Amino acid sequence: MVLKIFFPQCCNRADSGLLVGRWITGHDSAVVLAVIHYPFIPGQVKQYLQQVQAQSGVELSVLGSWSLPTESQEGMESFLRDLSTIFPQERWLQVSRQIGKTGFNCDVLNPAQNGRAAQREAKKKKGEEDEKSDGYAGHKGNNNEEEEKVIFIHYEQRNVMLSQLHPIENGVSDPKTDAPSELRQMFQTVASSQPLFFLDKYDDGPLKLTHWQSEGREASIIAELFKQASVPLCRLISWLLSIWVWVCNIWVFSLYPLRFLASKLSTCVQLSYRTEHMKTLSSPKPATDHTDFMRKATIMVSFLVDVALGVLLILWLYRDNHIPMLANALVPAADHVAKELEELLQWLMGAPAGLKMNRALDQVLGRFFLYHIHLWISYIRLMSPFIEGILWYGGLSACFGLTFALSLFSDMVALLTFHIYCFYVYGARLYCLKIYGLSSLWRLFRGKKWNVLRQRVDSCSYDLDQLFIGTLLFTILLFLLPTTALYYLVFTLLRLVVVLFQGVLHLSVDFINSFPLFALGLRVCRPYRLAEGVKFRVLCDEPGTALHLQMEMNPLKFNTVVQTYRTPTYSCYPKDSWATLVKKLFVGELIYPWKHKSTKTD
Amino acid sequence: MPAHRSAYVLVVRVMGPDSAPGPAVPWQKVLWEHQPYPDNYVDQRFLEELRRNEGIRQYHYWAVVREAGFVGQQLSCVAIFITLWLYMEQGLLSPEKLLLTTLVCALLGYGLHQALTFQVESGCEPRTHLADLQSATLFLSFTFGFSPVLKTLTESVSTDTVYAMSAVMLLAHLVSFPYAQPSPPGSLSLNAALFASVCLASRLPGALHTFAMLSCALLVFALWPCLLQKLRENAPNQFIGVCVGVCLGGVGGLGSLSPGGAVLLALALGSVTLLCPLLLVRLQKQKDNIQGPWDEAEIHEDLSHFLH
Repeated sequence: MVLKIFFPQCCNRADSGLLVGRWITGHDSAVVLAVIHYPFIPGQVKQYLQQVQAQSGVELSVLGSWSLPTESQEGMESFLRDLSTIFPQERWLQVSRQIGKTGFNCDVLNPAQNGRAAQREAKKKKGEEDEKSDGYAGHKGNNNEEEEKVIFIHYEQRNVMLSQLHPIENGVSDPKTDAPSELRQMFQTVASSQPLFFLDKYDDGPLKLTHWQSEGREASIIAELFKQASVPLCRLISWLLSIWVWVCNIWVFSLYPLRFLASKLSTCVQLSYRTEHMKTLSSPKPATDHTDFMRKATIMVSFLVDVALGVLLILWLYRDNHIPMLANALVPAADHVAKELEELLQWLMGAPAGLKMNRALDQVLGRFFLYHIHLWISYIRLMSPFIEGILWYGGLSACFGLTFALSLFSDMVALLTFHIYCFYVYGARLYCLKIYGLSSLWRLFRGKKWNVLRQRVDSCSYDLDQLFIGTLLFTILLFLLPTTALYYLVFTLLRLVVVLFQGVLHLSVDFINSFPLFALGLRVCRPYRLAEGVKFRVLCDEPGTALHLQMEMNPLKFNTVVQTYRTPTYSCYPKDSWATLVKKLFVGELIYPWKHKSTKTD
Repeated sequence: MPAHRSAYVLVVRVMGPDSAPGPAVPWQKVLWEHQPYPDNYVDQRFLEELRRNEGIRQYHYWAVVREAGFVGQQLSCVAIFITLWLYMEQGLLSPEKLLLTTLVCALLGYGLHQALTFQVESGCEPRTHLADLQSATLFLSFTFGFSPVLKTLTESVSTDTVYAMSAVMLLAHLVSFPYAQPSPPGSLSLNAALFASVCLASRLPGALHTFAMLSCALLVFALWPCLLQKLRENAPNQFIGVCVGVCLGGVGGLGSLSPGGAVLLALALGSVTLLCPLLLVRLQKQKDNIQGPWDEAEIHEDLSHFLH
């Protein structure tokens, strides 16, 4: 049997006293949290431990005694042994250390063997004498009881207290079926024992403890100031938010057309997303556990970075007359696009690429689309005096964050290329209708019919009228297919170009929204806070003393950090696989390749 | 020694089906009983149940010729249609004349059809005149409305492609025509014929030409077989006469335009109507089907006892 004792490094040189900690259930190990020094009254110790247990929920108990004998304290050995009778427990650890030696000595007393402890000590001494004379072989024969081997694992208490072991278990697992591992229990014990670390050996209370705070109280003025300031700030933010939410919920905005429009514009989506974030941030309760804390911190940092980038953009935009330049460049650019489109249509109306089009249909479709372009050009000309103003006010929105500016830009692109979208929809609908009609009439040609109930093709005897009209329509649709297909192809390609551009914008917005900058910064500056596991280093392995190991944190890998702490967003991801996309294009269904997920709340 | 000999004798008896008489146990053609014969043993009743050429039909030459005449008739119909189209394309026939002729023929045919129907029986649910009028109006208006569109359909397609498509479609029509029961028209045959006629009609110079051609196609391919069916049922002798008449008309019509075509058509008709039945009857004698108990079981359900 190997007994593992987790010993804090800060207590390596503590004065003699009682070891306070917790036995880890299910495993043969104990965690030492602090050392209570002399003088103490046992009754007060018990009372204090009960108080702390009630506050923290950790099952504290007195583990044993610790002795680091200095010159003034001799004869403590028997005193320490007698203490085991005062504090009831399963096993009593007697840890001692000599100044100048690195190793500890540990004796484990079981309650049954309490009386025999003295015998065992005597036997040991005798055994040692024998060993000197007889050699190693005789030593073993003398001991009848099992010798418990003890391993001391030294840990850095402050680091373990602040650290979080990954992968994070949020208390979902049933404690009866799979007990948390030893390491996890140890980390949880140290992290939950905050109330124990309030009293110090320099305090004037009845008890004097040594733990990590004894090396110097850690407090940062900035953190304290921030904590003080955050409360009224949270109040202000939540008040502003409530006004904003009230404005949004005015009944006018809940009418169907506006709501539909709002769900399509990415600016509105981004606004609602950020509102959710602000609600999370401005809740007055402090973060309950690690996940909560990380989420709040990530949101805050990403928001601040966003605003900083937006302010940079504003600085660039509003100086050197950039806005009037942009506005003046916009109308000629739109004109140029329209002219290109007109040329394209004229090309299609001729004999494009040598393909043979049906002249009449060609002319009809071409004229229809040309008229559309003409309408759109007039609309742009109408808007041109207002463009500069719109750009100026729109650029101001970047002070809410770069993501807003990008969403606004994406929306403007969508509005400016609305005619391409219209053309695409017309072409796609026409083509889809044609393909559908053709497939149905082809079945009629062969004398078959689609059975909707059985989802298969059955034979069917048609009437004369049905056959006649069906064949005529089939012939017409078949011969008009190349023309429609070509128009569809051209407009689909244009639409795909626009969609690609918008997709790039959305992806960058999404990246800014969800990238966990805070977690990465934590990983770089304070790697012990995000631990994937631990490593052990041998400190002292002398025969005769216990084995000493140093436990160090194994920090999380960078890509695991990013994966674990990504904020869930309304991320844009391609809805269909390539095969489905190609099939949809072929059949003529309208494609919306980027799909917005609704905001997930854990 | 004696025991061995008797065993030897026993074995010989069992294994000898064709030389020595078998043991007293008669052989049964079953496998579920343990018999002293090997599993693949058959006695002299082998191949008793073989039946040769069961249900074979004896064809008589002239009956087959009469049926083949129908096929020839259909071939001539196609030829007549192509002739009319050639006339229209060369401008020798004006669309109004064709339309008029078509309408007159349609009315005549309709009258004949009704007469034949009334003659036989007036029992089961005849189509009312109103329904027929409705159908006719629908056809005509639809065709008239779509003829400008139909005319421009094959403008950009090359002539060779059009001819090839039409030929393939007409061939498909002939192959898939329901010769046994032409009255509900087969979908594929009618559709193929109409497709071919649309392809050809769109090559004509005007929209009215297209309309006329399509009406003619409708008459020839959709309505004519119905009349023929009625004739075949009710007046078989006249039916033969009509077939012969149509064949001659086809050859003659094609001959007025191109003698080579007429010769080809005559040859085709001759072979289909006269040569092929001869071959059939001759080859029928070579037929050698065997049926026996090894065939798959066919269930002949007599559904009539359900009706009582």
